[in-house]
Amino acid sequence: MARAFKDPSEIIDVIQEHLPVLYFVFGRAKTEELAVELGKQWDFLNYDEKQQVRQIIKEAEAEYPDMFIHRDRAVLRKLLEQGIGYHHAGLSPALKRIVEHLYESRLIWVLFCTETFAAGVNFPAASAVFDSCRKWDGREFRQLLNREFFQMAGRAGRRGFDEQGYVFILINSDFPEDTGFFSEKKVEMVQGRLTVSPNTVLSLLMWKSDHEIEHFLESNFSAFQKRRRLQETNQKISEYKNTIDGLNKHFCAQRESVSCPLTRKKLKRELKKLKSRRYRQRPGSQTRIREIEELLTSLKKKKCKKVSCFDAARTIRDTSNKLDFLQYKRKQLIAEANRYTTDFYNMRDLLERLGYVKGREFFPRGRFALYLHIQEIFVTELVFSGLIEELPGDVVAGILAGVDYTPGRREYVQAPPYDIEPINKLRAELMQLGVPGEHLVWSPVPGYIAYAWYNGEDFEHLLQNSNLQEGDLVSVIRREIDLLRQMEKAAAENHVLLAKLQGIRRTLDRDQVKVLF
Amino acid sequence: MPQAGKENVVDMKEMKSKQRKKIRGRSSRTYVHKKRPVRKPALKTLSPEPVKLDKFQAEAIEAVLDGRNVLVAAPTGTGKTLIAERLAEKVLREGRGLVYTSPLKALSNQKYSDFKKMFGEQQVGLVTGDITINGDAPLTVMTTEIFRNKCFEDMEDLANIAYVVFDEIHYLDDPHRGTAWEEAILFAPPHVKILGLSATVPNVKEMAAWIGEVRACEVLVVEERKRAVPLEIMWISPDNELLSKSQAKRKVEKLSARFDSEMEQHKSKDKKKFYNYRSK
Repeated sequence: MARAFKDPSEIIDVIQEHLPVLYFVFGRAKTEELAVELGKQWDFLNYDEKQQVRQIIKEAEAEYPDMFIHRDRAVLRKLLEQGIGYHHAGLSPALKRIVEHLYESRLIWVLFCTETFAAGVNFPAASAVFDSCRKWDGREFRQLLNREFFQMAGRAGRRGFDEQGYVFILINSDFPEDTGFFSEKKVEMVQGRLTVSPNTVLSLLMWKSDHEIEHFLESNFSAFQKRRRLQETNQKISEYKNTIDGLNKHFCAQRESVSCPLTRKKLKRELKKLKSRRYRQRPGSQTRIREIEELLTSLKKKKCKKVSCFDAARTIRDTSNKLDFLQYKRKQLIAEANRYTTDFYNMRDLLERLGYVKGREFFPRGRFALYLHIQEIFVTELVFSGLIEELPGDVVAGILAGVDYTPGRREYVQAPPYDIEPINKLRAELMQLGVPGEHLVWSPVPGYIAYAWYNGEDFEHLLQNSNLQEGDLVSVIRREIDLLRQMEKAAAENHVLLAKLQGIRRTLDRDQVKVLF
Repeated sequence: MPQAGKENVVDMKEMKSKQRKKIRGRSSRTYVHKKRPVRKPALKTLSPEPVKLDKFQAEAIEAVLDGRNVLVAAPTGTGKTLIAERLAEKVLREGRGLVYTSPLKALSNQKYSDFKKMFGEQQVGLVTGDITINGDAPLTVMTTEIFRNKCFEDMEDLANIAYVVFDEIHYLDDPHRGTAWEEAILFAPPHVKILGLSATVPNVKEMAAWIGEVRACEVLVVEERKRAVPLEIMWISPDNELLSKSQAKRKVEKLSARFDSEMEQHKSKDKKKFYNYRSK
């Protein structure tokens, strides 16, 4: 095994009073590795329970005979008979369901799983283990949020069974500083996350009045929050200003003259700076030094209770620093509060330039994009370039699979047998017209999967021609079905196109990729 | 498949040679007896449904049956869905409709199955991006995105809807998908009441205030901080000791300090090399 990791059976030794356990791991491969490792040392089920597991698997296999054939899933079957399981998004829907079913039947004592399990299955265990507290969020590895942690940890503790739910966090000897310390008091606030997509703009222009659009831009949650923060900031700013004004009254009339100890101190500090090696050579330094020296000798130091003056001056300095920061923050808040309006008009301008709308008037492209919810611009252009209607069904299926798809780092799929050049050309043209890259996300990678599936190849063929896992293959096809349904709604008036899209969808929606209940 | 057969033969040969090597490597074959768990004496069977309602459940149920907008914040596993189920019963009895939105397709499918068992196949529907079953049913489970789209495209479909339930409404905070929740709340037809179910978050009241402002209505906040089963968090050191929070913090400090000092040593060695090089 490439990477050294902590032996899970040692951990189970420690926590064996608190089984069954959900063992959270961030990484699909690792759930499998750990499960195999534990299986070498532990067997949790007695004879009767093993028989039960075999029976359940047998029944499921009658329906899905190839469940345990693909990849290394035969190992999983053996592990399940020992009361050990793993669960992640790469498993086929049928396999996921059987693992969930066994877990809910209390026949799995240790389940290695990823975060998706905690979100999707509403069934508690006696305890939860966190192998690590860092997760991949699509862009980077980061520490779990308190909210995420407690969402997962909350699966520990069975009502009516356990007096307490136990959560165990492992300290990694190589990365001790990554150890998580979470607190329910520090759970993060919910922030508004509105985004202005092409569909948002089109939908607003089509179905909502000017008043409603304004409402949308100015009353959304983040604008609401920004407004609240702005109020708080304004209040604090005026508080600080009052403090400063109040303190300024404290000084005597000679505050500005050289006789005041405060002024003298300030001048002396400047003098010291100017005389330092770094400054004394600079032009103007010498004149200023002479000036200050003259000033200091011109008047005598006033005798006064300077201590309180010094305190006041320090407070003023601190407060005005804080004030500067708040004023900067206020500027930011005002800019951010207006962000949505700017976003909206930018997007509308882009759509006008591309010939989707003009004011509230809709052109064919605009009417089409209105019913799309991912990569609206790219898909619309794909349709209006005529490619979808010209190309054969299998090629279209392949191309559409890549919409909004970003392949993983080590993903391998058989290269598609059709030409992808026209698509790249189209994207380059759109890029030139000023369409931002985020609206042109497309990848040729999953193409072959949908292409082959459309042509009636079996699931095994897809697995042999890619290194994706069963669950990923299913999700490629299901995503495409989702997109096809959107496009069908958009193409309602174009009967030829509609028939073609429906045909593709019905051909794809079969066998292993069908939705299970 | 003849080719696959050939591959298998090669595999078997390889396997056998590997096995032989393994056996030669060891002096004798040992079988490790697998460890068995300590079984606790017969666990109490879980009563199928907690008959008595918790206080927060009772409060929230009373409020929704009264037709109010409610935001419930409670930890996972405290029985928030029960509130939605009671509401669904009432709405269906009155011959009106209810939309139940959930953040994940898998959850929608599961909820659909649950509701089907509870209310019968005729009454329940499911609409997600890639599947529609009985879409005109009075009780429809949807992903939030679908409900959001309906608020623009098919407002007339929602004419008879009395309530929309947002399960896991704190998904509002999701950087990619949160926008669907926001748009849905902003544009759900005014006659539709809202029941939001959220994990515990510090600013539920702010969320409620916002919903109240944009929908021009009152929103009741029902909060429960206590878990159904209290949690005890512990840490496990690299030497498999169970540690409390303070012990764990000390351990982490110690381990990181060891690292730092090792790093320092490396650095100072490098420095020496560097100076030597310079002096030459």
